[in-house]
Amino acid sequence: MASSRRPLPPPEVESRLRAQFGDDVLAFEDQFGHAVVTVVRERYREMAMFLRDEPEIACDFCDFTGGVDVGDRGFEVVSHLYSTTHNHNVRIKVPLEREDPVCPTISDVFPTANWHERETSEMFGIRFQGHPQPVKLLLPEPFEGHPLRKDFPLMSREAKPWPGAVEGEEEEEEG
Amino acid sequence: MGLIERTPLPELQPVKFILNWGRRYSLWVMNFGLACCAIEFIAASTSKHDFIRFGVIPFAHGPRQADLLVVAGTLTDKMAPALKRVYDQMPDPKYVISFGSCSNCGGPYWDSYSVTKGVDQIVPVDVYVPGCPPRPEALLHGIVKLQQKIANEDIKEKWSGKLTTPAATS
Repeated sequence: MASSRRPLPPPEVESRLRAQFGDDVLAFEDQFGHAVVTVVRERYREMAMFLRDEPEIACDFCDFTGGVDVGDRGFEVVSHLYSTTHNHNVRIKVPLEREDPVCPTISDVFPTANWHERETSEMFGIRFQGHPQPVKLLLPEPFEGHPLRKDFPLMSREAKPWPGAVEGEEEEEEG
Repeated sequence: MGLIERTPLPELQPVKFILNWGRRYSLWVMNFGLACCAIEFIAASTSKHDFIRFGVIPFAHGPRQADLLVVAGTLTDKMAPALKRVYDQMPDPKYVISFGSCSNCGGPYWDSYSVTKGVDQIVPVDVYVPGCPPRPEALLHGIVKLQQKIANEDIKEKWSGKLTTPAATS
């Protein structure tokens, strides 16, 4: 197997993805040798399958799926794919709207994504359409709210502000 | 009604002394290890610090055989019912040491959404050991403090179970 390990440089990944998905590739970045692609939600599953099945890319392992709260721009779902045959990384970002964010599941494409999507779902309130078991993973069942959202209230901090703020630093929490 | 309740013996100073002396030097301990503090607990049990020399025996087969519960680490709201269950299974008289900042008050997770800020909300605590994590010596100190407490106890009152019935929490 060692002889067939050929990491594909990010520009190569970009040209292949742009050829396949055209304008649905919203952005592409080379971050420290990792290909980072932003794609529209409608073609997220298709892209995950493409990256898995294309022999030269062959991303056969989903490292993680997580979420990012990007404020007014809504949320992002980030999936990190890795190729054990070629030893390269590709990240897919899917921008979602703030109100009722819905994202298609890739848990049938990569079984690892199953639990990660459940965690992303409870932490950010993102619904994963087509997920086989859309229930909480880590939080206790009666928990209300989505704690990794920036606007999630921390009761202790309501009573006493965080003491670690540096002098002159803007207090963003109060908003 | 057991022997203790029926006889005036525990009232007698020498008998009280002997009973408490026996109890404080054979504390079978249950390690409720939840985080890095549990590692310090293990260090305290091994040859260098060796709390067996104080009569603390870390071989309780389960909560039903234990006299002392050491809550070492971060208790989350999801884990809290399990701690209550373990505590309820222990026979009276029973003692609790809260080991480390997390179990004392939440520690670095004081503003977390998921951490119980202090195990004394769940079970009554006899000795608090501060530190993040506390060194094994701190646990030894806490154990000695607990033994002093046991030595001065009114065994009749302790054995009645009234003291270990947790007060209602708000």
